[in-house]
Amino acid sequence: MLAFRAYSWFLSRRLGLALLTLWGLASLVFLMIKLMPGDEAQMAAGADASAAQIEAVRERLGLDAPVIMQYFSFLGRLLRGDLGTSIVTLQPVLADLEKVLPSTLELVFIAMLLNLAVAIPAGIVAAYRQGGVFDATSRITAVMLGGMPAFWLALVLQYVLGSVWRVVPISGQQSYGMASPIVTGAPTLDALMALNFGAFFDALHHIILPAAVLAALFATQIFRTLRASLLGVLRSDFIMAVRAKGATARHMLVRHALPNSLNPVLTLSGTQAGAMIGSAVLVETVFARQGIGAYMFNAVAQKDAFAVLGSVMFIGTVVCLVNLVVDILQLLVDPRIRAAQLGSQGQ
Amino acid sequence: MTAPAIAQPAARRKEGFSAFEIFVFSLVVALLAIAIFGPLLAPDSIYSSDIANSLMPPSAANWFGTDDQGRDVFWRLIVGAQTTLLSAFLVVTLYSLIGVTLATVAAAGPRWLDEALMRVTDIGLALPGMIVALGFAAAMGASLRSAVIAMAITGWPITARMLRGIMRQTMEQPFVAGAQVLGVSKWRLMTKHVLPNSLDVLIVKWAGDIGTTVLVLASLSFIGVGAQPPSAEWGATIASARGYVSTAWWTVVAPGAAVAITSIAFGLLGDIIQVRRDPSLRGN
Repeated sequence: MLAFRAYSWFLSRRLGLALLTLWGLASLVFLMIKLMPGDEAQMAAGADASAAQIEAVRERLGLDAPVIMQYFSFLGRLLRGDLGTSIVTLQPVLADLEKVLPSTLELVFIAMLLNLAVAIPAGIVAAYRQGGVFDATSRITAVMLGGMPAFWLALVLQYVLGSVWRVVPISGQQSYGMASPIVTGAPTLDALMALNFGAFFDALHHIILPAAVLAALFATQIFRTLRASLLGVLRSDFIMAVRAKGATARHMLVRHALPNSLNPVLTLSGTQAGAMIGSAVLVETVFARQGIGAYMFNAVAQKDAFAVLGSVMFIGTVVCLVNLVVDILQLLVDPRIRAAQLGSQGQ
Repeated sequence: MTAPAIAQPAARRKEGFSAFEIFVFSLVVALLAIAIFGPLLAPDSIYSSDIANSLMPPSAANWFGTDDQGRDVFWRLIVGAQTTLLSAFLVVTLYSLIGVTLATVAAAGPRWLDEALMRVTDIGLALPGMIVALGFAAAMGASLRSAVIAMAITGWPITARMLRGIMRQTMEQPFVAGAQVLGVSKWRLMTKHVLPNSLDVLIVKWAGDIGTTVLVLASLSFIGVGAQPPSAEWGATIASARGYVSTAWWTVVAPGAAVAITSIAFGLLGDIIQVRRDPSLRGN
């Protein structure tokens, strides 16, 4: 009973923060709309709209009302899922974005797997052999990768691996004729669901480089964090006790040191999942992939203001929800976070 | 042989810089010198087209080759250095000012104001900064000025959060209580006593912030909401050279390398300052 109350307290507090954040985001987007130079109705209707069309839009958005009323009707439209209409696709922005979201989530998911699969072993080895050759080279690599612009790394690797060495496709999400029936909108998943393994590996082949570029940026942070955390644990007394009882290095690392140093890595990878969705805007267009980042990029290029701001609202919302889910998952997975979050309230 | 009872601290070398530190310092100084004086030396031709000489590979005349307009890539990088670094300094200065103001108000003000400001900071920290900055820059009309303003109004939350924590700690120090006993006004107490003794954290953070800002600024320009062509800003240069990567790699590689070197140099400078302030971090 106590635990239940503690959980519901944590959940309601965390949900409250998420709602507050979404409200803050909505207010920022409203501010952005008001900052736009020129006539808002004209911007929403498109450059070649007739005077009558512009008036119709003005009427629909209630732009003759006082700003405070406009703010509330804007929030009302958001709650109904109305993010505005794109002047390029002539579709509601939300419908456009929903179509391409699975593709972005797929990219972020694979990037996250690569990120952890490379950074965690590298961090362990670097910390265990602190000051060694591997430690030095991987730290230098991390510093270099962390300072490179992701979109530039994407362009250069695309040229070298795609055009010169031809080990990966240059762009796109699948080869011609490899399209599976669209169920989820994520090519790898759709191929699996159609039991078309050729198409599955083809889609993986297309996603590997974009995901690696996206992962590179974030893997440097995971590497640094895990290395520092593990170094701290390796210096602690209980590790000396483990060693003294004659445990093998492998046993000591895997059973004792690692579980005690993964906490900051978990927290960081949670925030990273959200940040990766935002960073997709830098990678997707370079590889001509579909996704919310590519959609926003194109909207900027076509001066489709409401599509840009609708995307900001949408990406911000997805990031908030991902962070919320990650926080709750963490609570369920890690007893120490559970103790820290619930313990203070439970008693 | 009698060993000293207490091991002498081996890492007692406060004076003197390692070769690596000197390398990083000189890199940063060189970048600053390029940004300040470079544009004075640049030829006028970096903004004008010379189609006959377009996409020429690196040579003695054009060290880093020429771009699609026949403009010298090397000199455009030099001029872009000023744009990039000046903008990055402006962004970091502006958001630090916002952060300092909010942190001071939160630390000095009544409890409800502190609580409210910190919730606003929470919101700022929870949102994807680059995406919100992108939205503001796009809304104000894509330009370098918009991108700088957008980054300044979205960049402050980390600074505000850290500084407010430090200021709260400083306020518990005996000398602050002493000043209060002497009847120093709240305003004077905060600005003359608490703030100056808390700013350490900003000085340590500053160089690393420049490095990150250079990256984000280049990203915004690449997306198209920052500097616009024909600006020599590095992100914009990469964006306009994008299509030539397979025919003239130097037009893309050079500006990207410039971003990377600048970002890495300032990032390393930040790390060095941090370790010097807190030597227990050495080796981490």
